[in-house]
Amino acid sequence: MLKIRGLKKSYAENEILKGIDLDVKKGDVITIIGPSGAGKTTLLRNITTLESADSGKIEFENIQGDYSALTRQETKKLRQSIGFVFQNYNLFNNKTALQNVMEGLLTAKRMPKQEARTEALKALERVGLLEYKDQYPVQLSGGQQQRVGIARAIALKPKVIFFDEPTSALDPELVGEVLQVMRSLAHEGTTMVIVTHQMRFAQEISNKIVFMVAGRVVESGTAQAVFENPRAERTRQFLAETLVQY
Amino acid sequence: MRNFELIGNFLLQLLPVINITLTVSVSALVLGSFIGLILTLGKIGSSRILRGIVAGYISIVRATPPIIMIFLVYYGLPFITANFFKINIEGWNRIYFVIIALTLLFSAPVAEIMRSAYLSIDKGQYEAGIMVGMNKFQIFYRIILPQATVVALPNYATALINLLKEGSLTFTIGVVDMVAKSQMIVSNNSGGYAWQTYGSLALIYWALSLAIGRVVALSEKAYQKKRQSISI
Repeated sequence: MLKIRGLKKSYAENEILKGIDLDVKKGDVITIIGPSGAGKTTLLRNITTLESADSGKIEFENIQGDYSALTRQETKKLRQSIGFVFQNYNLFNNKTALQNVMEGLLTAKRMPKQEARTEALKALERVGLLEYKDQYPVQLSGGQQQRVGIARAIALKPKVIFFDEPTSALDPELVGEVLQVMRSLAHEGTTMVIVTHQMRFAQEISNKIVFMVAGRVVESGTAQAVFENPRAERTRQFLAETLVQY
Repeated sequence: MRNFELIGNFLLQLLPVINITLTVSVSALVLGSFIGLILTLGKIGSSRILRGIVAGYISIVRATPPIIMIFLVYYGLPFITANFFKINIEGWNRIYFVIIALTLLFSAPVAEIMRSAYLSIDKGQYEAGIMVGMNKFQIFYRIILPQATVVALPNYATALINLLKEGSLTFTIGVVDMVAKSQMIVSNNSGGYAWQTYGSLALIYWALSLAIGRVVALSEKAYQKKRQSISI
């Protein structure tokens, strides 16, 4: 469904992404893991056009071509077919939970207000926040805000949702509720690409793991293959370091 | 006691022309805010040339004393329109020239206030807007602007009070506003009761400024309430 080839991105002299390939099929739950500075977040931001990649090919729906040559229409189409969940939630502070979820439906999808409201309520229900619909972001806990963020993404019925370290900004006791929502999305067949440091969670819900170091994919495969039988020495090292704490 | 009577009497004579002051201030407020908004868009935009032009405009306007701006517009604008657009505006009501001058003066601080308010809004919301498929204009209008407005309100009030005070120069090109009226009263009294006359004029300006401050404080409060209202 989504095919990325040779994605590159540099900031000044630093090449952060050194040619990344990624294949996402319908229903995939792909988790990108790796040490800090590997370029995981940068990868998500470049795939989703939040930042403009230096080079690399994309195939998605009927978009085909190089990132550097995407037309306005194609960029718009791409953005409308994907969802994004941010590390810092990035909710609209002047809008209630419900309005946050409705916003994209009203503006980008030009849905009538009543219909948008119904859709938004459905999305809020899926993340278990129906009774908080009239709260403003400042009145919600981090975990609740992130769940609104997820509702905002799923309400638009995107083909694939990208999660950029969705639990990294949360207090430990709030991580669970967000992971629970993501787990249920995965079970419902939502196509997801996740960057996270929650290794056990990654192992549990992903059907594919991508391990990145210093702007390159070192290893990728099924969760079982990567976690239990890592081929690369670097992967073994990383897993030993991160999993030891559990 | 006599002084209070006099001041009350002068107030009654001045208040009928307060509409000149209000017309000038409100018009410059609306037009200046609009131009200020456009300047802000130029200043936060990606075009380097546009940013340069806006920065130049703002520094020139800020460096122009209000009275000179009024004279420049009053004497200069008819010259420009006559020579470049073949339009004769010499017969225009003089109040228009004051409004244009004050609009220009007001647009500069408005642009600065709006820009800093804009910069204070967390840009993550902009990215979130992009990712739900909104366009730049929608994000600005529906997300950034409402929040920036609240941040900008206190400074906006200060700028508005300045505008009101700059409006007291309206009389310099011969519009009979409250200041001109005060001068007439004083000269009719052969220079007598001058402090009582100008005292009542000052009272009116104080009242107007206080009212502006009050309105802004109330609207700030209303927004706070809206945000914190809990309706489960």
